[in-house]
Amino acid sequence: MNRYKLTNGIDVVIKNNKNTPRTAIVLYIKIEKDETKAGLYYLITQLLFQGTKNRTSAKLAEELDENAIDLLIEKKTDYIRVKLLGLNEDVEYALDILGDIIENSTFEDLEKEKIKIKGEFEADLDSAKIQAQDEYYRTIFENHPYGIGRKEIIKQIDTINKKDLVEAYNEIKYCFAKNISVAGDYDEEKLIKLLNKNLNFLKTEKMENKRKLVEELTENKLSVICKEDANQAQIFQGWLVPSVYSDEYASIIVLNTILGFSGLSSRLFMELREKQGLAYTVRSVYEPFKLKADFFVYIATEPKNIRTCLEGFEKEINKIVTELISDEELENAKNNAIGKRQFYKETNLLEASLNGYYEFLGLGFNFEEKLIDRMKNITKNDIIKAAEICFSKPNALCILAPEKYLKEAELL
Amino acid sequence: MNNVKKKTVFYPFLEKPVEIYERENGHKIVFAYKKGELINISSWVKTGSINENDSNNGISHFLEHLMFKGTKKHKAGEFDRILEAKGAIVNAATWKDYTFYYVTISKGSSNKNFQEALELHADMMLNPVIPGNEIGEPFDINNPKIKEKRERHVVIEEIRMRKDQPWTKVYNLTNASMYQNHPYKRDVIGNEQIISTITREEVLDYYKTHYTPDNITTIIVGDLNPEEIVSEVIKEFDFKDRPNRAAEVFPIDIPADKTKYIEDYSKINTGFLMFGYLCSPAVDIKTSTIFEIISLILGSGQSSRMYQELIEKAKIPMFNIISSDYYHFKDGGNLFIQANFKPEYKNEAIEAIKNQITKICNEGISEKELKKAKKKLKTCFAENAETVSDIAETIGFYMTVCGKLECVEEYNEIIDKITTEDIKNTAEKYLNLNKAVIAVLMPDTYNK
Repeated sequence: MNRYKLTNGIDVVIKNNKNTPRTAIVLYIKIEKDETKAGLYYLITQLLFQGTKNRTSAKLAEELDENAIDLLIEKKTDYIRVKLLGLNEDVEYALDILGDIIENSTFEDLEKEKIKIKGEFEADLDSAKIQAQDEYYRTIFENHPYGIGRKEIIKQIDTINKKDLVEAYNEIKYCFAKNISVAGDYDEEKLIKLLNKNLNFLKTEKMENKRKLVEELTENKLSVICKEDANQAQIFQGWLVPSVYSDEYASIIVLNTILGFSGLSSRLFMELREKQGLAYTVRSVYEPFKLKADFFVYIATEPKNIRTCLEGFEKEINKIVTELISDEELENAKNNAIGKRQFYKETNLLEASLNGYYEFLGLGFNFEEKLIDRMKNITKNDIIKAAEICFSKPNALCILAPEKYLKEAELL
Repeated sequence: MNNVKKKTVFYPFLEKPVEIYERENGHKIVFAYKKGELINISSWVKTGSINENDSNNGISHFLEHLMFKGTKKHKAGEFDRILEAKGAIVNAATWKDYTFYYVTISKGSSNKNFQEALELHADMMLNPVIPGNEIGEPFDINNPKIKEKRERHVVIEEIRMRKDQPWTKVYNLTNASMYQNHPYKRDVIGNEQIISTITREEVLDYYKTHYTPDNITTIIVGDLNPEEIVSEVIKEFDFKDRPNRAAEVFPIDIPADKTKYIEDYSKINTGFLMFGYLCSPAVDIKTSTIFEIISLILGSGQSSRMYQELIEKAKIPMFNIISSDYYHFKDGGNLFIQANFKPEYKNEAIEAIKNQITKICNEGISEKELKKAKKKLKTCFAENAETVSDIAETIGFYMTVCGKLECVEEYNEIIDKITTEDIKNTAEKYLNLNKAVIAVLMPDTYNK
């Protein structure tokens, strides 16, 4: 891995992977200020495909597709991420398009884009799971931008005007911190020249922290959605927990593996699915954001099982908080969690994204190695300590189901 | 390796040709070299809903779940636990033409993980016990007092999950009407009534009928020595005297003789619709590729015709989402156009899609569009050569659905030879608006 600095000061890390036909370039833009209106940054990421001073939206789409260049611009909780992926022979052209998009977007089609976003989100919300998950984030991150979901954006997006956009975009372009990560088989010197040529206009300014902190939950929160035709109840139960900078970070990753992160051998999977046949999908998820993390357990089950599932969650959570796990289970979970991390670097795009993410967090591109070392050294007591920290606080519970079953489970 | 026939096939973007070994009993072993720590082991069985009928629909998928319930050597759950404790991804999938089981894992020092994974995988494939207590007793789906819940309930929950997915609902409405007789008309997962009552004996019989040597292809992808691994696969896949059985042949279905329109309702706020067409068998690579090109031009990506015409340039914003897809099947692929729309514009949305189909049938496509689609298709191979699991899936598809991997070798040449005239002729022949299946899922407030 090699590190470079562009003439505008942006750090670049490059991982050279020989004999790979496609190069991945990932730009991270740190969100240093909360958006003034819900959906503002998301709208910007969508409008970046709507034409520049040099290319109409149709021409942009045409040029990208003609050259089989994948360009994805995502708005996440803490950053805007630009992922560019193309055949090595097309990298120069891909960077030319990217530079044009970021520098010269005109944001002409603001009203049309708002209608498109509302339509797409309304379609998403016809999925019971997405509706429940949106509500879960709203509940656990109440009054915080992390909790803004599709519903809130649909409500607020029409208040966004061109002035809001231009102001926010100028900050994104000229103030917010940025870093670039590359993986592929491409001449590094040439790549740096191309990045300097096409992205030199980007700037970074030291900004005072203008992000709102996440407030701890002071009591358990319950949110229910009545959906009369739901064939399954959607249950999300989550806690606010320490994030990536915490000493417990590695322990919580292993804890998540034990409890229910993917795979067919976790405790929740074995107990609620394999032994009790309550669900097809049951899992736990640890989401470390920059300001805070959440840890949730999820199950989709026949609505009459709501109470049984909540008791099942409680039993497993209590067990992991109060009982030391066996040596064998700990070793298995550590090896599982460490082994799975190889998949996070399996393609150039995944590897560039991961290295860039650690750089964005200020942890350094080699943080992965340090993290694995930390995971190797985790003890049984570390797990119980992490579980206590995670689950001793109030939680947020969100359930979607037909009204009758919510009443039966005494949730209404 | 006596009595094993070997051949090699060139595979784009891989460093070495892919090696195919066929044993005397018909079991095929495929090895693809991919540098790196991760390896993938998979076995593809030529069975899925294609071999089902009205009384056992869903059995292929149910069996797939039950294959993880242990062998004489390894009890239920052990396979997953041992392999996941080494960081493996273990899973399986069932579709219309095939069922496949896979393990992706780091090969380990001296290939130790590979050997262990292969032993477990082969044991699972050849010696499943399918214990009655793991299946659970047959039960009455309408009896709310059932307490004992085992794997039947897991699958029934999967069925419930799909009922809450509008896209799956509209797909099933379309698929069920596209066929007159062919087993493809059934939903792969089956229904609650069948899954709650099917017996262990039926499942075991189904296993014995279809999990035969010549019906299985085992694929290994990774940085391994083929000479060694093929011997090991042969050793572990000891079918003993398991007989092969003649595969059932189903007559290829003919498209609907007139347009079929199906409308259903749900508690949703937007409309979902799908157009479906029966197309050519997967082994007809040229025609299948032509359909891939039609699908790309119509509705893949932001520069596609439908995205540009019906979303970007639309005077009235009727559509929220629109795209097209081509699914390859042994007995005839499917071209789908799927859209989400504002329900008040249902009729206009259907007309707009019909206009796009008419246009491609009447006017064909431009040279520029063809060039773009060809580049995209070729790049897909680069994309599918990036991970061991994607390579295995591509090989598995060609071996199982097309019956030969050589199709890969011919693929680029076939792409290069396709002309705009070919596209127009194929569109005219297959995409007849008077023979389309159109399914629509509307908000229940429109059910008057």
